[in-house]
Amino acid sequence: MDMRLLLGLVTGIGFGFALQRAGFSRCNIVHRGLWLKDFTMLKVMLTAIVVGLVGAHLIGTFAPDLVHFKVKSLYLWGVIVGGLIFGIGIALGGYCPGTALVGLGSGVGEGVSAVLGGLAGALAFIFAYPVLKPVLIEPADLGKVTIPSVFGSPALPTALIVAALLVGVIVGLGRLEQKGASR
Amino acid sequence: MAMRELIRSRTEIGLWSQLPGWLRWGAMIGLVQIFAMVTVGPLGVSTAYPQFVGFVLDRIFPGFAQDQSYLREIGAQIGWEVMLVFGLFLGAMLAAALSRWRNRSLGLQISVAPVAVKGFTDGKLRRYARAFLGGFLFIFGARLAGGCTTGHILSGLTQMALSGLVFAVAAFGSGMLIAKLFFREPTKE
Repeated sequence: MDMRLLLGLVTGIGFGFALQRAGFSRCNIVHRGLWLKDFTMLKVMLTAIVVGLVGAHLIGTFAPDLVHFKVKSLYLWGVIVGGLIFGIGIALGGYCPGTALVGLGSGVGEGVSAVLGGLAGALAFIFAYPVLKPVLIEPADLGKVTIPSVFGSPALPTALIVAALLVGVIVGLGRLEQKGASR
Repeated sequence: MAMRELIRSRTEIGLWSQLPGWLRWGAMIGLVQIFAMVTVGPLGVSTAYPQFVGFVLDRIFPGFAQDQSYLREIGAQIGWEVMLVFGLFLGAMLAAALSRWRNRSLGLQISVAPVAVKGFTDGKLRRYARAFLGGFLFIFGARLAGGCTTGHILSGLTQMALSGLVFAVAAFGSGMLIAKLFFREPTKE
């Protein structure tokens, strides 16, 4: 088997295992998160970002050939409109594209249904792309902008500051949860 | 039986198990992200959906992938992205099977408290239909935006990309609005 395929499979297994254990198999975790009743979802994501942020930029600074960055373009209309549609989708479905598969793998009926819906949505997008591209994707494309590229700041120190801020947010969310529980 | 007891007592020893679940598994996802970036590139999930659809339809209707400009751009092949998503499904299945096996003596099952919609008694069919519609919209929206929770938020913020930040604000904003407008307040689990 092609090495890339095997790497994809191994990476996916680790990712799926961790997502399942973090509690994303149940579709109500998203719902509770959107109602700000449960910050589990946010805390898992923020922790993952902090670890990835520090790790990737440490490697990127001392051994730049060892790590692959791939920043997505900020084409304003597509990212905003797509994000708004995406938000409606996760509120209705209780999953996102990754966790729907976790639900499917855990044998939750909604997960099966959401994955099938996702495949239908993918087909619809394939057909809609030629129409949407000139309207929402090509105009107002600001390119691959990042916080260091905007401020002209060095990557690793900026990453450490952002990571520290995110840790602050995680601690703050924990405090909020305790307050909510004692009420 | 003895084997199961042994595994349970083994895994409950040590610092690892004392940490809260969100910290353990969040950190694990961060390590998976680093592994992905060192080997191939940042994690992403939603591209695999149209790639897989394109791959299957191209087998049924030869030439389909060539005719669609989107599939010419992203490719309609079983590559790293689709294998990652297939692995994601397998990993979740493995984790679910292991916890069922370990908790069998306790009688625990994965149960989902139904999410209640305002003004409706939420039947099974309605819940499945809503999940289908949700799935349709989250892939359509993710493809329009160029990424989903994984590609834009997890991988995007890991690289301090502004696109990820804008996507996160838009997605949580509309998600919270829809949840407040159409769904009942969730009860304690």
